[in-house]
Formats: sequence, C-alpha cells, structure tokens
Amino acid sequence: MSIRSSFVIAAFACSGVFLSACATTGMPPPELTQAQAAYKKAESGDAARLKPAELHSAKEALDSAEEAYKASPNDKQKVTDLGYIAKRKAEYAETQASIAASMEAKAKADAETTKLQSSVVDSTSKDMKALRAEVSRPKAETPKERAGRLEDEKKAQDAMEGLRSSLSVTSETRGIVITLPSSVMFATGQSRILPGAQSQLDKVAQALSTQTDRHFTVEGHTDNQGTDLMNQILSEQRAQAVRDYLIVHGVPAANITAVGRGTTKPIADNKTVDGRAMNRRVEVIVEKP
Amino acid sequence: MRTLPAAILGLAFAAGCTTFPRPDARVASSEGAIRGAQEVGAQKVPQASLHLKLAQEERAKALDFMRTGEYQRAEYMLMRSEADAELANAMAREVQAKRDAEQASERLEALKSKVGGK
Repeated sequence: MSIRSSFVIAAFACSGVFLSACATTGMPPPELTQAQAAYKKAESGDAARLKPAELHSAKEALDSAEEAYKASPNDKQKVTDLGYIAKRKAEYAETQASIAASMEAKAKADAETTKLQSSVVDSTSKDMKALRAEVSRPKAETPKERAGRLEDEKKAQDAMEGLRSSLSVTSETRGIVITLPSSVMFATGQSRILPGAQSQLDKVAQALSTQTDRHFTVEGHTDNQGTDLMNQILSEQRAQAVRDYLIVHGVPAANITAVGRGTTKPIADNKTVDGRAMNRRVEVIVEKP
Repeated sequence: MRTLPAAILGLAFAAGCTTFPRPDARVASSEGAIRGAQEVGAQKVPQASLHLKLAQEERAKALDFMRTGEYQRAEYMLMRSEADAELANAMAREVQAKRDAEQASERLEALKSKVGGK
C-alpha cells in the first residue's frame, strides 16, 4: 500500500496548493514567458513616462505570475491564468500610453493652431486699420482726384466726337452691319432722334431704299448702366424710332423690322467709359439675300 | 484501505470548495468591464473586438465554473475576462485618440499653407 498510496497522496497534493515539494523540471507555460516579454516592451516605451501607474499594475501582475510559478510550478492552470492576465495588463499599459501620447500631440497641434490664428487676426486687424486710415484721409486729396476725374471726362468726350464723325459699316456673317452710336442720335435716356443725327440717317435711308429686295433689321443696344428692364425698353424704343425715320424716308415698311436687345450684346467692356459708349448703339443690319 | 484515497480525494475536493469564496464581486466588475468596452465601440475596431470576444467567452466559462462550484477557477477566469475587456476598451479609445491627433495636425498644416501663401 505504502508506495502506491503515497503516490496517490502526492498526486492529489500537487493538484491542490498544500505541498510544493513536487516540483518537476519543465518549461514555464508560454503565457508566462509572453507576459515577461510584453512587460519588457511596455517598460521600454512611453508607458514609463506617461502611464506609470498602469505600468506598475502590470508589473505587479507579472510578479504574481512569477511567484505562482516559483511556488507551484506544476499548478499549470494558475500560472497560465496569471501569466495571461499579466500579459494583458502590460498591453493595457502600452495602449494607455499610446492614447496619452496622441492626446499630447493633439494638444500641441491645437496650441500651435490657436497661436497661428491669433497672429493672423493681429496682422489682418493691422491691415484693416491702415485701410481705414487711407479711406478716411482728409479732403486735401480731392483736388488731385478732381483733376483725374476731369481728365477721364475729357477723354470720354473726345471719344464721342470721334464716333460722331464716322459711320461704321462692317460685313459680318449676319449681313452688312451699319453701326450708329446712340450718343449721336439720342439724348440720354431718350428715344427721340436728335436733329444733328438726321444727316447721317438720311444717308442710311438713301442706301437702303435702293435695295428693294432685301430685308433690314434695326437693333437697339445699351450699356449695362441701370436695370436690364429699363435698358430693354429703351433699346426697343430707339430701334423703333430709327425704323420709323427710315420708313418715312423711303424704306418699305414690310422690309424693315425693329428689335431691342437691351444689355445682352455688348461689343466692348462695360467697365470703361469708352467701352460703355461703344455699347450704346443702334445697328442696322442688311440681311443676306 | 480503500477509504484512504477516497478520504484524500474528499479532502482535496472540500478544500477546493471551502478555501475559495464565491467571486460575486468579480462577476459584477467583469460584467461592467465588458459593458464599458461595448460602449466605446470596441466591437467596431478589429483588434479591440477580438479581445471583447475573448472577454465574453471567458466570462461564460467562469459562470460555468460557478455552477460546478469551482470558485477558484471561476475567479481566475473572471480576472482574465476583466483584463481582456479593459484592453478592448483601451484599444477602441486608442483608435479615436489617434484620429483626433491626425485631424489636429491636418488642421494646423492647412492653416500654415493658407497663411504661408499670403
């Protein structure tokens, strides 16, 4: 009985925690060695600096596992469990450190952003101050401005004179286009034909009345000053006025139509004085047969 | 003679039962840890969802041990569950923290290039 039963006793004792005398040679469970490696890794990273408490907790768990292994190396289950837990705790410490590092980086970037934003605000408000100062400068500048304005006005007047003396006739895909500047023909905002324009219109009437088999279109155009509706109406009225004049002076009514184009077909830049003058026109189009 | 091994068996068994108290507190805390991980969306983050799943399996095993009276094994299994759940939780939050840091960095770069181009 003695050998066999003492064996049995020893076997049962080893499964419990009573005797540690039955130590056998064997590798520690992989969970323990992995826990040791995981702790080393966590220790060598940011955790030591950023999350010392969590790292310490991981160390304690590792110590428990190692003690259990020393005390009862055959209690594989316990050592395995404690090793597993220790490994997780080391990974936990590392992950927490990573979170803290990301938060540090975010805080740093945010601080730099705020600093940069306030420097932009500062320089913008400086610019605004300078601009405001310039705009509200005392009237001493006005004579210079007035001289500039007068010069611009004279230029516009000269341009108008030039237009008055010429009658532009061009050949286009839509036909022959006779362009009459509105400044010559009408007073501002009016559609009554000025006396000074009559000699030119007579020439046009003469030319057209010889071409009995052709059709003519009178198109009124304006610049972009004022509303589109106003310009549309004015251009229509002016086109009609020219048509009426031409009919009275020999062009068959059936051959000529009048249409207003308003602001829709500029031929020059409305942003300049000269450009606007050019856009204000009446076109008489001799259509292709 | 036949009763000796039985007696030792009985002693060992009894010791396993009475030395270890029911780990009721740990049952509650491990459940809390799992819930915490779920609340931060661990199931949506690959690595984190793995540890969440392990935590849930370990907890289920622990409850089995509780039913068979193996309280020590239950305790350790619950400790494992809690450790996995907390790791899952941290991993989920790590993904968000990294994203936040990246966004902050991108904001800064965008502002720098806008200001620099002035």
